Amino acid sequence: MKKYIPLFLLLFFATTAVSLAQSDNISPARKQAIDSLALEKVKDLSKYISIIGSKETQFSEANRVMDRAEELFAPGAEMGVSSLSRREIAYYKVRRYFERLMALNYDRVNITWYDIHYISDLERQPDGRYVGVVTVYQRFEGTSLESGLNYRDTTKKDITIYVEKKQTQITGRTIEFWDVMLGDIRVTETSA
Amino acid sequence: MRKLILLVLVTILSYELAPGQGLYSPGQPKDDGRFAASTKQVNQFFRRFNAEESVEGDKRYYEGDPLYRDRELRGKFISILFDNETSSINSDTKRQFLEEVLSENYPQFIHFHRDGWFAEVSAIFTHKGKRENVTLFLKIQPEGLGYEWVIDKVVFQPFKDIFKKPEGDAKGFLHPLSHELGFMNLRKAFQDSDTPEAYTPKEYNPDYLTLFLYEMKKGSIKFETINDVKFHFFQINNWYFELNQFNRPGNNTGWLIGNLVRLQPGDKESILRYIYDQK
Repeated sequence: MKKYIPLFLLLFFATTAVSLAQSDNISPARKQAIDSLALEKVKDLSKYISIIGSKETQFSEANRVMDRAEELFAPGAEMGVSSLSRREIAYYKVRRYFERLMALNYDRVNITWYDIHYISDLERQPDGRYVGVVTVYQRFEGTSLESGLNYRDTTKKDITIYVEKKQTQITGRTIEFWDVMLGDIRVTETSA
Repeated sequence: MRKLILLVLVTILSYELAPGQGLYSPGQPKDDGRFAASTKQVNQFFRRFNAEESVEGDKRYYEGDPLYRDRELRGKFISILFDNETSSINSDTKRQFLEEVLSENYPQFIHFHRDGWFAEVSAIFTHKGKRENVTLFLKIQPEGLGYEWVIDKVVFQPFKDIFKKPEGDAKGFLHPLSHELGFMNLRKAFQDSDTPEAYTPKEYNPDYLTLFLYEMKKGSIKFETINDVKFHFFQINNWYFELNQFNRPGNNTGWLIGNLVRLQPGDKESILRYIYDQK
């Protein structure tokens, strides 16, 4: 949580920089600040996925990281996975997805992320929260030493972000800030 | 078009993300330009079509920005928004479309919140224990403080098979003096006939969505999964286009126009009937 404080402050200043009359609208400056916070969370998720998937990670450590990763998500978030050979979406709860990742039967697993991302506009939903999608690309490499088999794929991950205005008390003053939670993730195998 | 792809590649290859601004760190795989060129989200299709973002997609242009909806940039963007590998849209049709969309006096744009576009979702449901294909049509509507996607129509073959209104001699009817008999002959319509829809007006159309929701509430239809999604656009005057997702090697990937039709009077209704499977 502490690591996000500078971003929260940035968001706070971006918030106060615009007219208070438009406090529920998201200006381009505020959108940019929200994008940075969203990317930080996506970056954390990618780091956690790499740790959970790595065969060098101890079971207890992987479980601890799964707990941390789950905290990034809004309740009920799901992963929807499809592959080139199977277009139908298979649904997993986020925790289940991590557990499956941890249990993959490879001796070596290397998960890396491409140097590209795309962030959608933010759209307001009926309850007043904003929703957006961040797209990133992941490369997975798994090696089985016994069979000598290598498996490699590249997946596109479209990650839902929920953006919500929240309040906190700092030295008796009520401060408003915009928070970002991750939501459902669509995982698509690419032809790359 | 090649120039734009080249520009995207050069820009991306020379573009270094500031630390903490993305997922990139030394040693991580670098995009060779394919992902940058791909129209990664439907949102990006809108932005590219309207020229509301930079070539590399990292900067959103807003009203007042010098390149916001820039005509030249739009031309380059739109020319890469067609499926050039599998679709049979001829270059003359594309040229006419571009001319009209980019018209200096009356440029046309697409709008996320307006009518004139909708989604077609191919889904799998189980009906009485059997997997069945279901096509759902969704549209976006204002609701509460924002917007939501709602199910507007459904196509479900088992329902279509049930409702087949007979025609000609095969069609039963209530004779025009039935009222004098207190409509006692309704018994024939409801008990002796297996096509009660024969006794409905010409304009009668079964409301499949209501039936579908009713069956779902009863528990006889259950959602399984999604197979495919595409979008239909009627927002450009006298044009229809279909937006499909292309997942394949190369630079011509992502959300692209897979079908483009110039509309003559009456064509829109015919295409809608075709899309909604009511040919």
